[in-house]
Amino acid sequence: MAATLEEPRQQTAPRFGPLLGRFALAGLAGGAASGIWAMVVTERTITPALALEEARTAASHEHSEELFSRHTQLLGGFLGTVIAAVVFSVVVAAVFAGVRHRLPGRSDVGRVAVLAAIGFAVFALLPAIKIPANPPAVGDPDTIDTRTAIYIAVLGAGVVTALLVGALVGTLRSRGLHPSAVATAAVLATVALVTAMVLLVPDSPDSISADVPAAVVWDFRLASLGQLAVLWTTLGLTAGYLVDKLARRA
Amino acid sequence: MTSAQHSPTRTAVPRIAVPAWAWALALLALFALYLVAQDNGAVLASAGDVAHEFFHDARHSLGMPCH
Ligand SMILES: [Zn+2]
Repeated sequence: MAATLEEPRQQTAPRFGPLLGRFALAGLAGGAASGIWAMVVTERTITPALALEEARTAASHEHSEELFSRHTQLLGGFLGTVIAAVVFSVVVAAVFAGVRHRLPGRSDVGRVAVLAAIGFAVFALLPAIKIPANPPAVGDPDTIDTRTAIYIAVLGAGVVTALLVGALVGTLRSRGLHPSAVATAAVLATVALVTAMVLLVPDSPDSISADVPAAVVWDFRLASLGQLAVLWTTLGLTAGYLVDKLARRA
Repeated sequence: MTSAQHSPTRTAVPRIAVPAWAWALALLALFALYLVAQDNGAVLASAGDVAHEFFHDARHSLGMPCH
């Protein structure tokens, strides 16, 4: 006990306000990069789905009034991506501030990267496994509530998994286990919990209708996953760089 | 038992004081995102429809369930 008290304080912790600012800036950067991906890459995979949707309405002699032009929706897609990224960054900032002293990594670049990787896993990879993204014209509007519930359940299970594995790693490390043993235990626990989630959460009630080519769906899913990867990578690297600089100054 | 026994080289990373408003802000941000992306007029009524249509691409491409 005395040893800990006598330890020289080599660093002071950064204050939360400036930290939040760095994360929000990184969120803007991640959102902008991801938004550009949305307009350049994802948009190309949405177009065939929209054409399909138009062909359907034409065939059923219904007239559907579109609220916004395609250009306005593109802008909305960009802005919506930026808003989502900034929201993620605000949440990550609070979580990072709360757990920074327990995160692995010798610098803040590494610590933020760990958290961003967890964010990508929870908000992108897990939904991609259980309830993958679909372009317009694929989902059944009548099942939207069920699918939303599944989506939120998957995110919740992901957050719980991250917390449980984090607690496990903390416990094992404090008992002095070898880092490779801790890593193995973390991987096994993650696999077990994700498998449990996949088995326990019900599947999406939608089946993709026959007139939608598989390529349309898969191109979109890849583009969507890429968009989220760009978001979390840019957010994580930018925040890591900015927070590291902030911490060194403190 | 001292922690120094297990990690002789690691200097302790100081805790960051997280103010309560940080968590309130995080929750508020998530709720705002829900309104922008997910709401089908449940909370915002017709304004929600407009927001839904405007942000429709983002909703799909970020993997949120939609039509
Ligand atoms: Zn939709």
